[in-house]
Amino acid sequence: MNTCYIPENLTEALEIRRKTHALPLAGGTDLMVQAKQGIGINPVFKSPIMIITGLDELKGIRVEDDGTLVIGALTTSAEIAADERVFYHIRTAASQMGAISLRNTATIGGNIANASPKGDLPQPLILLDATLTLASLDGEREMKVDDFITGAKKTALNDDEIIKEIRVKPVEANYLFYHKIGTRKANAISKLSLSAMANVKDGLILDFRASSGAAGDKVKRKREVEEMLIGKAVSDIPSLKDGFLTAWNGILSPHAMPTYRRESTKRMLSYFLDKISEGAELGIIS
Amino acid sequence: MLDKKITFTLNGKKVEFIGDPLRRLIDTLREDFGLTGVKEGCGEGECGACSVIKDGKLVTSCIIPMGAVYGADIWTIEGIRDTELGSTIVEAFADGGAVQCGFCIPGMVLASYVLLKEKSDPSEEEIRQAISGNICRCTGYDLIVKSIRLADERRRGV
Repeated sequence: MNTCYIPENLTEALEIRRKTHALPLAGGTDLMVQAKQGIGINPVFKSPIMIITGLDELKGIRVEDDGTLVIGALTTSAEIAADERVFYHIRTAASQMGAISLRNTATIGGNIANASPKGDLPQPLILLDATLTLASLDGEREMKVDDFITGAKKTALNDDEIIKEIRVKPVEANYLFYHKIGTRKANAISKLSLSAMANVKDGLILDFRASSGAAGDKVKRKREVEEMLIGKAVSDIPSLKDGFLTAWNGILSPHAMPTYRRESTKRMLSYFLDKISEGAELGIIS
Repeated sequence: MLDKKITFTLNGKKVEFIGDPLRRLIDTLREDFGLTGVKEGCGEGECGACSVIKDGKLVTSCIIPMGAVYGADIWTIEGIRDTELGSTIVEAFADGGAVQCGFCIPGMVLASYVLLKEKSDPSEEEIRQAISGNICRCTGYDLIVKSIRLADERRRGV
């Protein structure tokens, strides 16, 4: 039978985590499926489990004075999707995750800790340079989501730590793009996803970012490649595009159907760049 | 180890569960409480047949462990069908021809209930969105969508 703890507050959870290294179960939408045995049979977990679903200290969204968005690790996708203060890419990814029931259950902390290359939320979080606050009995430390997720299903979480919250500073941009490719509208796991953003002023690209989900062992983003477009004129996009797309392709490492994933990523990025180049109306490119 | 006592509200009554806190909510509802209106389809939270309402929100009970139900307010079709809005939906489903084999229908009714509780006069798009996590292999959905509309009209007295 499983060993399972249900802490009543964060301190108790951290004590249990230190003593037993029990795996935190947040919403359970990944873990319960992985541990499933069948109808009428209790799920079986390989390690002790700590159900933290009820810890109110880790729930909710706030905005700090400098505009930093702080999302508690146990905030659900539905709560994130419903909150207008949440930045476009994160909110859109949350709203397209699973279906209503799943969004009511799945948490942002769980989605990050599960570290699936197909996870919906790490992709926009890495685009925006989001950081995590990791708590243990010794205190807290701060880490970029991009550094925290080290590979497919691998993270830098210590066995006495819990993800407490996600912190995202606002990033200035006036062109925004998010696209997820799945096999059905609801409840589809990403086959491929892309976020992109650009900040264009007086015909110049002041900032450009992109991040690719489900196109490698983790979310793919590379500042050096983005810099190929930064500081350049919008009118130069047509001549820079092919080189940029080839370089972006170079950072992808799709686990399966690489041709499809590489071509589709190219087409999405190309579409976004063409829109900017054409002088499309500022805002969300759909 | 390590049975836990978990108290929660089920269809309006205080109840108690003692056992493995990782037992799935669906198994507790069907086997311990005999509420067999909760159906198991995929067992992975994707098909919606096991939908219940937890603290006012639609969830799939096949991926929720009992330890996450502590203090929660759970409603299944057996409770919802006796509410005013619930019975209106059930009758509209019958009158509108929404039901063929019936396996998905408890989940569909609960998804409709949550929608109509939150929204008056929903658009077709909103209705389809609300049941997008509930798979039906018989009807093609059109008569379900029409029946939800019928339920909304009846409760608004249109």
